[in-house]
Amino acid sequence: MCGGFACALRSARREGSSWLLQQSLYNGGRLATYGFIGMLAGTLGQGLNHVQIVYAAHSNHEVGWAGISAVDGSLGLAQRALSVIAGLLMVVMALQLFGFLGRRHSTAGFGAASLATVLGGIIRSPGIAAPLALGVANGFLPCPLVYAFAVQAAATGTLLPGIMTMVVFGLGTFPAMFMMSGLSGFLDAVWRARGVRLAAVFVFVLGLVTALRGLLPAELLHAYLPEHAV
Amino acid sequence: MTGSAQDLCTHCVLPLGRRLSLRHVGGEMRAFCCYGCAIAFQVRHGSREEAQANAFLVRLGVGAFLSMNIMMLSWLLYSGSLDMDGAALSGPIRLVIWLLATPAVTILGWPFALDAWREARRAQIGAAGLVVVGVGGAYAYSTAVLLFGGQDIYLDTAAMVLVLFTLGRYLEAAGRARAARDLTPMMEAESQWVARVTPDGSERCRGSDLRIGDIVRIGPGERVAVDGVVVEGSAYVDEAVISGESRRIDKFPGTRVIAGSVNMDGLLLVRCEATGIDTRWGQICRAVRRAVGARSPLQGIVDRIAAASIPLVLVVASAVLVYGAVRLPLDAAVLRSLAVLVVACPCALGLAGSLATALAVSRLARQGCIVRDGGALETLAHISTIIFDKTGTVTSGLPRMVAVATDGVSIEELLSRAAGLECHAGHALGQAIVAAAEARGLEPTAARDVRVMPGCGVAATAADGVMAAGTASWLVELGLRPWGSTVAANAQIYGARGFTVVHVGWAGHCRGVIAFENELRPEARAVIAALHRLGLRTVLHSGDLPEATRRTAEVLCIADWQARVSPEGKAELVKSWRRRSGPVAMVGDGLNDGLALVGADLGISLGSASALARETADLVLPQDSIALLPWSIELARAVRRTIVSNLAWAFGYNFVAIALAAGGKLPPIIAAALMAGSSLLVIANSLRLERFPAPAKRILANGVTSMAAADMARDAVTGLSPARMTENGDTANLNERRGDMPFAIASSMHRSTVAENETAHMMRQFGQRGPLP
Repeated sequence: MCGGFACALRSARREGSSWLLQQSLYNGGRLATYGFIGMLAGTLGQGLNHVQIVYAAHSNHEVGWAGISAVDGSLGLAQRALSVIAGLLMVVMALQLFGFLGRRHSTAGFGAASLATVLGGIIRSPGIAAPLALGVANGFLPCPLVYAFAVQAAATGTLLPGIMTMVVFGLGTFPAMFMMSGLSGFLDAVWRARGVRLAAVFVFVLGLVTALRGLLPAELLHAYLPEHAV
Repeated sequence: MTGSAQDLCTHCVLPLGRRLSLRHVGGEMRAFCCYGCAIAFQVRHGSREEAQANAFLVRLGVGAFLSMNIMMLSWLLYSGSLDMDGAALSGPIRLVIWLLATPAVTILGWPFALDAWREARRAQIGAAGLVVVGVGGAYAYSTAVLLFGGQDIYLDTAAMVLVLFTLGRYLEAAGRARAARDLTPMMEAESQWVARVTPDGSERCRGSDLRIGDIVRIGPGERVAVDGVVVEGSAYVDEAVISGESRRIDKFPGTRVIAGSVNMDGLLLVRCEATGIDTRWGQICRAVRRAVGARSPLQGIVDRIAAASIPLVLVVASAVLVYGAVRLPLDAAVLRSLAVLVVACPCALGLAGSLATALAVSRLARQGCIVRDGGALETLAHISTIIFDKTGTVTSGLPRMVAVATDGVSIEELLSRAAGLECHAGHALGQAIVAAAEARGLEPTAARDVRVMPGCGVAATAADGVMAAGTASWLVELGLRPWGSTVAANAQIYGARGFTVVHVGWAGHCRGVIAFENELRPEARAVIAALHRLGLRTVLHSGDLPEATRRTAEVLCIADWQARVSPEGKAELVKSWRRRSGPVAMVGDGLNDGLALVGADLGISLGSASALARETADLVLPQDSIALLPWSIELARAVRRTIVSNLAWAFGYNFVAIALAAGGKLPPIIAAALMAGSSLLVIANSLRLERFPAPAKRILANGVTSMAAADMARDAVTGLSPARMTENGDTANLNERRGDMPFAIASSMHRSTVAENETAHMMRQFGQRGPLP
């Protein structure tokens, strides 16, 4: 969807502004929204973490029932659950990309339809600020991948890592967006379909890894081994 | 407030109210009820009408971009996440925040500032004023802190409040537009563009510029703007706007099309027979526009409260600031008073009534029911008693001739004499007699010196002296006494059965009687039963004979009835019922109901009713039928429930939120989000009316038209049969058939049997009161 709008931006001509500038502004707008979502998710995760710590302290348990300490910096129960949810969302999205699941029209519903109308209006607007606004609004469009990373940001359980998760996710989409916008005119349908399938494979693997992080015992997650923990 | 076009918002077609804003869009000055509607209209129509129309969205997008960055920096700063060099970073980050916030506040706050300035010039202060005062205060305070040193800054709050307010207004307008979507077809008759076929081709003109006889071309997907006859082409059309029933109707040359219907597929050339407001659609449009434009008393009170609350909120906010400045750190005081200003916006109050009313008016209009205004809907929900006029309301108003009895003369002579008299009278009974004579090929007897006595009958001079048709006493007055016993006896029987009887006499004697039955409307019994289920008391009034009225009341299971009521008497009775049992609705049709319709809390007339009745009525039911009355009442009650719950929410929310904000328990950003959420909740609650079930079809389909047939249906169950028909020299069987049930005519020879059966009928009917299945 994001790619579609990037292409639409390319086809809407704007005098006096380069393609690169427009794309940078568009992606900058998206990045700001993702960062904002990351901030909200991080705050939420922080809240969940806090609740868990309070619970652990209150019930005088050093260790939560999943056998993982909530206080020593390794993964807490809520974070694990969020990781699994994020992973499953990615897997679902990958299956959609493969065409195994029926792809529901994600702009259905009152809010999303209004948002789509808004986006349509912005695309037609002249001026160099329009791509920025388009990016901001686009960031809020319902998208399973964004949800997945927002959940992942919540799973970090702190504000700054939450923001950073989403910002890095946003930065990671930059090359794809630029390529999509730059190459969409040159690639034929067959190659674009192949590209989608390749992307689906990556998303699927990423989803599995994310979900496993929530499921596997702490000892197998080297990043969270006690000697690495703060 | 009158219901002219200027009083309605261009975007959501709801009343303009106090937050009116005038803007140039597409080269025209347009009026909008709020800032949100103005921007939503520009977004919707921008691509066609104005290149810069979407500038608003870009403005919102850029504002959101800046605000989100401000939020992120502020939260990182205050949450202590940057704990390495937090103190060292604090200064530069604050400066960056200020640099981002200044354009954000300018970009997003400018429209609010303009609105507040307009309000100020009218010596008013509204919601925009609150926002400007609150945000301006926070920005000024934060800037002062940066310049002169101090603790926290609240630029994130100022920017985010503006983003949320702007977004909330836009979403609110989008919701209202959705409500108006149904209403739009009901509003656009006057502004409809049509393609008029000219000798040189075709030209576009307004529907109001068409003349009768013009040929217009209606393409697929277009709405028909005129009443007329198809002269060329064929297509399916949907007449849902007028008939309330959405189905495809085949149109081809020679068939009629009605304004408001939509051409589904073909191309039609139509010759105009009525244009503009002369069409039924035009009249519906005008009535709906008036209904939506007029504010109900309840909404008027709410608006006044909302207007009065704004200065009060300013006072509360100032008090919080002063109190806080003394007792608390200044920044906490600023934050609290900002929260009070933001949370107190009475936007939800303004929406509470108007949206639900507009939706209901549109629902009613789509079914063909026209309501005068929102106040009438409120009354309809409150009424406890419904008074029906008999003739033309629960009965069809077209009397059916059921029996003729003569004494020594032929039926033909009686009918031609009666027709000769009644062709001058012009009332419904007379028309039925004239039609019956014509059907038998009879020539009306020539008469001169015709005198019409309302309530008595018609008299004239014929070749053989005075000739008259009317009541028995009127004929006796004229010196026309019954010739034999048959006429008087039959008149008595017919009267006892509840028929309306016309005596006809000439040459010194009353020669015969003609009996009429008023057919019940097919839906009448089901409607009355449904009204009883709704807990309403029903009353029947009539100017007719007591027997006829009582009989109708019994068949319909109406406990309270009154016969021989004059027009003034009807108005008096309405008053007495109102004293006895509260708000009263009067359902009537004729000229003689005008006084009672005005006197009742709610006057209801039928689509077929005379012009005066329609002018005095608050609710007009469609298509010569009372079938939609129970549904209209249920809808009105649903509207009342919706408005009450909206008001309870809006008042309760504002009250609690202001208290929390003043107590420092509600941060301004959460307050702004809640404010937008509150309006959206009111919209969502009102939009539930869209799902209010459509009227049941069965009331329209089932029903018993003839009271005699109703009797016979009962007789079939009880094994009793009515008097068998007999035909001899002095009694005629007109053998009118209704469904499969032949109607029986009493003869003088079977008088006693008839009388006994009549008594049995009455007894059973008394015993069977209560709603019928």
